[in-house]
Amino acid sequence: MKRISLVVVLSMVVSLCATPLFAADALDLTIPLPLTGGQAKFGEMEKRSYEIAAEEINAKGGIKGKNVVLTFEDSQGKPEISRAIAEKLIDVKKQPFLVGDYSSSCSKAIAAVANERKIPYLVVTGADDAITQQNYRYVFRMNPSNAYYATGLLSYLKEVVKPTSIAILYESSDFGTSGAEDMAKQAEKMGMKVLVKEKYEKGAVDFKPVLSKVKAAKPDVIYMVSYVMDASLLMKQIKELRIDAKLFAGGAAGFAIPEFIDNAKDAADYVVTATLWSPQVKYPGAKEFADKYKKKYGDYPSYHGAEAYSALYIMKDVLERAKSMNSEDIRDAMKVTKMVTAFGPIKFEDKEGYQNQNFMDTLVLQVIKGEHETIWPLGYASKKYLYPIPTWRERR
Amino acid sequence: MLRAAINPHEEVYTMTAAGIEVFLQTLIAGILLGGLYALIGLGMTLIMGVMKIINLAHGELMMVGMYIAYWMFVLFHIDPYLSVFIATPLLFFLGIGIQKFLINPLLKVESILPENQVILTVGVGMVLANLATMAFKSDYRSTPVSYATNAFYLGDFWKSSPIELSVSVPWSVSFLFAVAITIGLGFFLSRTDMGKSIRATAQDHDAALLMGVNVKLMRVVTFGIGSGLVGAAGCLFIPIYYLFPSLGGQFTLIAFVITILGGLGSTAGAIIGGLILGVFESMTATYVGMGWAPVGRFAIFTACLIFLPGGVASLLKKKRFSK
Repeated sequence: MKRISLVVVLSMVVSLCATPLFAADALDLTIPLPLTGGQAKFGEMEKRSYEIAAEEINAKGGIKGKNVVLTFEDSQGKPEISRAIAEKLIDVKKQPFLVGDYSSSCSKAIAAVANERKIPYLVVTGADDAITQQNYRYVFRMNPSNAYYATGLLSYLKEVVKPTSIAILYESSDFGTSGAEDMAKQAEKMGMKVLVKEKYEKGAVDFKPVLSKVKAAKPDVIYMVSYVMDASLLMKQIKELRIDAKLFAGGAAGFAIPEFIDNAKDAADYVVTATLWSPQVKYPGAKEFADKYKKKYGDYPSYHGAEAYSALYIMKDVLERAKSMNSEDIRDAMKVTKMVTAFGPIKFEDKEGYQNQNFMDTLVLQVIKGEHETIWPLGYASKKYLYPIPTWRERR
Repeated sequence: MLRAAINPHEEVYTMTAAGIEVFLQTLIAGILLGGLYALIGLGMTLIMGVMKIINLAHGELMMVGMYIAYWMFVLFHIDPYLSVFIATPLLFFLGIGIQKFLINPLLKVESILPENQVILTVGVGMVLANLATMAFKSDYRSTPVSYATNAFYLGDFWKSSPIELSVSVPWSVSFLFAVAITIGLGFFLSRTDMGKSIRATAQDHDAALLMGVNVKLMRVVTFGIGSGLVGAAGCLFIPIYYLFPSLGGQFTLIAFVITILGGLGSTAGAIIGGLILGVFESMTATYVGMGWAPVGRFAIFTACLIFLPGGVASLLKKKRFSK
């Protein structure tokens, strides 16, 4: 908090006495992220990725000749704090646009403020469908919405697994609930029977009661929408109970990051997960970014990292096209964005009830020999998918 | 009972082999969870009994115990279960320190409210949680022990069994440890001089003082034992759960519910209270919905306050008048 107020005071002092000089040298951008609390893992990864992007951009002359200077504010994963940060950035810092934050709930809170104050806001990772379905003129989203997270997974189900029934377990947050609702709808459309649909409070200790119910229902597919520790507890307890399904599938987030495999160990084998990106995609700069990140921090980033990294490049592109640093001009430039980033193609469209939403192909990862491998769509695959999967009894 | 489902997918719960399997599996999960809950609740109950205050830093003390077990595992490859013998004494002394240097001085101050000490424990809890965040960041951590997902299966022992039940190895080891610690505590309280003095202090503070019990020392020791117990609970929890600095609150709440359920200070009541809570939560998860488990916890808490203000202890007392 102290550092934040210091930054604010400093920037006020600076803007009072030397505005033109300061503005000529640096583009000061503050990004809200959860840096403490339960989602700090993701916040940390995004922070690192923003920093890598800023470094690269500055090395090549910055944005319109200005050096990008990033600061981060800790939103702790709490929407009310995100909202306060957004208001501060708009009122005190006079930042003409907003970028970032992690969870759906936080992004939603910022989106509401941004639209009300007519400040363009780029949503980087918040996936709740509602964010871009409210006729917000100033809110743009680069990641596909929750309903589209699973498109890749659904086509894998349709063409390879051909299941007739599904059980859905999800965390009772905005992200978990909307992910589960969408999956239930899609599954029914595909002719699957939803046998169990059960939510849980984040931080639950024991999933075995609800899992034994799932076991008795004998679904073909068990689909889970969870953050990382719940994801590994779920898979560990599924292994303990020897629940055999044709497919264990996760809806991105917790299942798609390396910590899932570190914590669940061999219980993670063969689990597939929807994801938006992997280091193996063939977009320009994707592999370079992933390698750079791995070299620096020891692990490949998940799609969250690629989104953050690309977000800064999108803003670079937008600001260079905008007529001025005025919010309205930036908004107009954002609307006509058409570029390919390391994360994928970016184009903000109004269709199917969404506004300013980017649509793109999503991928499926499978844990093969303790590593996440891209298996679907086949054009992106780094390894051939393993199906059918062995039963728990056969695995020993 | 098995049909008491308000869930639309009720065909699962009919009295078939599958239905019985679900019921038994839920019961097993509930008892194992309840045993661990009881151990968490015991420490708070003991402190409540002797000092008449609720220690709201209880969950945070458990968090400290878990960090000890975690670092022992990461740095020295000491199994979390062996860390019970390290974390318990460390937490014992931490508890003694808290009582001696923080709570006792507060007793001397002319305070309007006895709640001052309770408020202090809230502060202690916050300090511990924030220190942990500063020192270890808010990362989630776990100890991936090799036996984490091992389990005993009924099918392995009884080939033609119509149903399949599994009992997790780490859960049952944790449970057995909890039972052993509880028995040890019972022995200590009923057979040793110090244990008897603690019970005397809990029953009647002034009478104990008149009988020559060093009440002040008993308070200090009790807080130490209470902390040590929850530290042990932390070590038993980490192989089956995970760890982050702000995890204390949810376990303080559980301990609080158990203390009320058990009858504010009765150790036997706390054990039964823990088991009731564990089984009740598991049954709620299976037959109502997992999202309802926290609601169930409050329902049983409120019901207990209204219909059974003395907790399980008052039922126990009715059966045998002398104690």
